[in-house]
Amino acid sequence: MEQIKQLRQYGFVIRQLVSREIKRKYTRSYLGILWSVLNPLMSMAVMSMVFSTMFQRVENYSVYFLTGNIIWQLFTGATNAAMASLVDNKSLLIKVKLPKVIFPLSRVGAAFVNFLYTFIAYLLMLVVFRIKPSVTMLFFPVVALFLLLFCIGISYLLSIIYVFFGDIKHLYSVLLTLWMYCSAIFYPVDSTPEFVQRMILENPVYNFIACARNCMIYQTLPSFGQLLRMVIWGLGCYAIGRIVFAEFQNRIMQEL
Amino acid sequence: MEQKPIISIENVSMKFKVAEEQSSSLKEFLIRVLEGKNKYREFYALKEVSFQVYHGEVIGIIGTNGSGKSTLLKLVAGALEPSEGRIEVDQDKVQLLTLGTGFDMELTGRENVYLNGAIIGYSKEYIDEKYEDIVRFAELEGFMEEKVKNFSSGMVSRLGFAIATARETPEILILDEVLSVGDMFFRQKSEKRIQEMIHSGSTVLIVSHSSDVIIKNCSRAVWIEKGVVRQIGEPKEVCKAYKNMGE
Repeated sequence: MEQIKQLRQYGFVIRQLVSREIKRKYTRSYLGILWSVLNPLMSMAVMSMVFSTMFQRVENYSVYFLTGNIIWQLFTGATNAAMASLVDNKSLLIKVKLPKVIFPLSRVGAAFVNFLYTFIAYLLMLVVFRIKPSVTMLFFPVVALFLLLFCIGISYLLSIIYVFFGDIKHLYSVLLTLWMYCSAIFYPVDSTPEFVQRMILENPVYNFIACARNCMIYQTLPSFGQLLRMVIWGLGCYAIGRIVFAEFQNRIMQEL
Repeated sequence: MEQKPIISIENVSMKFKVAEEQSSSLKEFLIRVLEGKNKYREFYALKEVSFQVYHGEVIGIIGTNGSGKSTLLKLVAGALEPSEGRIEVDQDKVQLLTLGTGFDMELTGRENVYLNGAIIGYSKEYIDEKYEDIVRFAELEGFMEEKVKNFSSGMVSRLGFAIATARETPEILILDEVLSVGDMFFRQKSEKRIQEMIHSGSTVLIVSHSSDVIIKNCSRAVWIEKGVVRQIGEPKEVCKAYKNMGE
């Protein structure tokens, strides 16, 4: 009973922190929260105009690109924001008895809420490009769930590392650039040499993207291998992040 | 009358590692490791501190900046673990009262009440219920939809104080420099509030630079200097000794 009450309280804290992040983001603009939909909508329009002439042999290229892009944006948005979460909330951490996981979690939460707004824009684009609605689209939330777990795991790791080494921020941004080019976001996989293809297939982020494309564009469920990878990466990453975080969370207090 | 202490601090030391030369980047750190130069100096924020606090006492902790007062409070509140020694206290009963923890200047007064309240452990229902009281106590009627960055610093601390003291009185209350906010009138009001909390049976730890606050409110005082307890006893005597050191 006592525990349930405490969990509810933590939920309340996370909601407050998430809403703070989101309010802050639009605090100086007139349209405010509307930008959450407008911004992705406009950049999607630009991107699909720019890229649609590049790979004309790919069917529905714009949607192909957008699907990959929203997944990628969620992943980078969440992990980048969560990385500094412990350091930014240093004063809070010292003074308040809250579980420390709340801080990276609320940053990931804010990124996920942003993702949901982007998703509205994405659905509008699907209508614009006349993608036929299908039952397989209902599988998308499952993909998003495992992607979320994956992001949380990575975020735990990064936030801990960042306490000890500020440099990780710069290293990670370079790594992300490389990672993005290996995720087949704006090019078809089969346009690359064979060994690159194999590398891309092993890339967890690409795997999420491929699953999403399957159920949103191609009206098929992800293959068994893809599903298996998705579950393993999602749960595995979450578990590792959780263990590392639990192991180090007391040591970071002295470091901060 | 033999009583069981409510807070028992035994031989507590708190050790921090301070890198002699701070390596601010991975590259520097690696170079240092290779050269075998990554030395740490050990620094005691607290050294073999022990004292007991009994039910109903009001303990004042005094000392210069950086003498380890705040570290001691964090240890009692459970935010830090001591490197040596033992602290016995029922952590669920402890409430550390600090002002404006997690205020966000870009948010409005109302939003900050909820954010700050959530962080220091109020449920949503509780804040809903107490919201009017908080605003009235802070004397901020009509300002709550303004962004906090437009508040004066006195207004911010009044709001912080009102939120922090809106709760039911906890059994062990820790006050970290909260008795000196706002103008003279608000200070009187807030001291009255604290007095009420003290008299309703809490055990209180107060940290302050001001010996006046300590003499006025406390039943016993602890003077800490450079992490070592210098004197424990009557607030007046301890404060006098503390003052003499400065001269």
